[in-house]
Amino acid sequence: MSQNMDMKKTSLIKADKITMQFGGLTAVKDFEMELKKGEIVALIGPNGAGKTTAFNMITGVYQPTKGKIILDNKQISGLKPDQITKMGIARTFQNIRLFKDLSVLDNVLIANHLHLKSNFLEAALKLPKYRREEKSMIEKSMYLLEKVGLADLRDEVSTSLPYGNQRRLEIARALATNPKVLLLDEPAAGMNPKETEDLTHFIKHIRDEFDLTIFMIEHHMDVVMGISQRIYVLDYGVTIAHGTPSEIQNNQRVIEAYLGVEEDA
Amino acid sequence: MKRRNLILNGSLVLFILIFLFSADNFFDDYPLRLINLCAIYIILGLSMNLVNGFTGLFSLGQAGFMAVGAYTTALLTMSKATKEATFFMAPLIWPLNSIEIPFYFALIIGGILAAFVAFLIGAPVLRLKGDYLGIATLGFAEIIRIVIVNTQTVTNGALGLKGIPNDANIWWNFGIAALTVAAIVSLINSSFGRALKAIREDEIAAESMGINLFKHKTLSFILGAFFAGIGGGLLAILQGTIAPDMFNFILTFNILLIIVLGGMGSVSGTIISAVAITLGTEYLAVIDKPIDFGFFETPGIPGMRMVVISAILMAVVLFYRHGLMGTKELNWDMLIQKFSRRPLKKGGIES
Repeated sequence: MSQNMDMKKTSLIKADKITMQFGGLTAVKDFEMELKKGEIVALIGPNGAGKTTAFNMITGVYQPTKGKIILDNKQISGLKPDQITKMGIARTFQNIRLFKDLSVLDNVLIANHLHLKSNFLEAALKLPKYRREEKSMIEKSMYLLEKVGLADLRDEVSTSLPYGNQRRLEIARALATNPKVLLLDEPAAGMNPKETEDLTHFIKHIRDEFDLTIFMIEHHMDVVMGISQRIYVLDYGVTIAHGTPSEIQNNQRVIEAYLGVEEDA
Repeated sequence: MKRRNLILNGSLVLFILIFLFSADNFFDDYPLRLINLCAIYIILGLSMNLVNGFTGLFSLGQAGFMAVGAYTTALLTMSKATKEATFFMAPLIWPLNSIEIPFYFALIIGGILAAFVAFLIGAPVLRLKGDYLGIATLGFAEIIRIVIVNTQTVTNGALGLKGIPNDANIWWNFGIAALTVAAIVSLINSSFGRALKAIREDEIAAESMGINLFKHKTLSFILGAFFAGIGGGLLAILQGTIAPDMFNFILTFNILLIIVLGGMGSVSGTIISAVAITLGTEYLAVIDKPIDFGFFETPGIPGMRMVVISAILMAVVLFYRHGLMGTKELNWDMLIQKFSRRPLKKGGIES
């Protein structure tokens, strides 16, 4: 990507002061976020800061109490998760949510279903139109599985995979929806340093290959500092800092949020 | 392997055809009726398994949809004279009193009407989850039954309908059962089937993968009701008489029993258990009578077979928690493996 392209990049997704209240509890307050095309941006913060809640608002699992979310100049807040996915936002889950009893390949194939043009009669009767679609769905899914290194395990039951592979499968599944924006919820959770390093390269690689914009929640600071161009920091639902990795590393409020404040300060 | 399975499948189909042919020609009325009943319960079991087993919706509306199918089929096939004789309390309304069409058309209309009722019920009910959905669908099935009891001029109320022409022979029953199996297997193995299974496995993940939950749940619910309507219609034809009492919740539980025993989410499991339960409940009648073991004679207690069936059910639920087949399908490789008891190769690799 050339330098002057970088300058002209416009906002792809934007959250405008989104707030999520559960009864009297404000989980996220006035969260503002903007991603430009091709960026990798991280969202960090201590446990319970509201990071996953922010993800859930963007993907439509929760409807924001206030504020709106714009993707490609279209408002997506208020839509249902499946509609938002159709418009180009895919995600993975913090507590892996694979389709447990189904095979690795089926898991990825399911994510292709939203692009299926045949109706259920054409599918059940296996008409040529559906057969063509099914064939290209399988080809695309196998390509994605090869990308994440799971092609050999296509017929395994998804939950029989080791943890790291399950995370990769979730990413392959999310990619199968043809997203513009990919939200990764703690992709490196439970990974060892070697796996974490592989994952870092992998995230960069898929960003380039699939022309993605990536927004991720992560606790592994080497991943966060290694690949993200910008970082948002949440604490108790409030955005306490926003900037480049080096700015965040030296930000006093971030350090306090993570390490605590001395009583007599 | 492929060739062997083809031969085995071919011989199985041939065996079934020969069996049905000899049953049709040589069997007495009673066993023939039971065999026909097996086919109908296969249809009913599969229709319920599509909704409960494959889509994971806990729906207990089966008897209601069957009632719609059964009454539609009966009213459209009974002759004008029979209708006049049956509706002696209050005459049947026009135009139903003058319609008489072949049963296969009637079955299709019955299925479509049941599907339409499911479509109407689905919009409010499918927003519910789990047990709440079960209770709501059960309630709707009861409402359908109560409506039937109280619409004297259409359904003859509590008196029921008699003299439904018995036109569907064993070939029709098994033919329709085979078509149902083919339709459901084909749907389940398509992209739509995968979407339904995804909803069963994890609704939140399915929705996040772009699957419209409501649309797919409704699709499954409507298709299930369609086949339930056809099954109900065939039951009406086989029995010759129907009454609202037949379609109470116990009927739904009988079919639920079939799919739980066979495995929620297994077509072959449903077929096996539909046959086993239909024949089992009838032929276990032996134990209702006194049996002499030589050293010990059991007293004949009416209803003893239900105790035995309950015990079998409990054993299955305890030892095969997911039913006989779980979500798996029966295949030849599995059977041969099981019965040949060939030890696995070194490292547990199957030969």
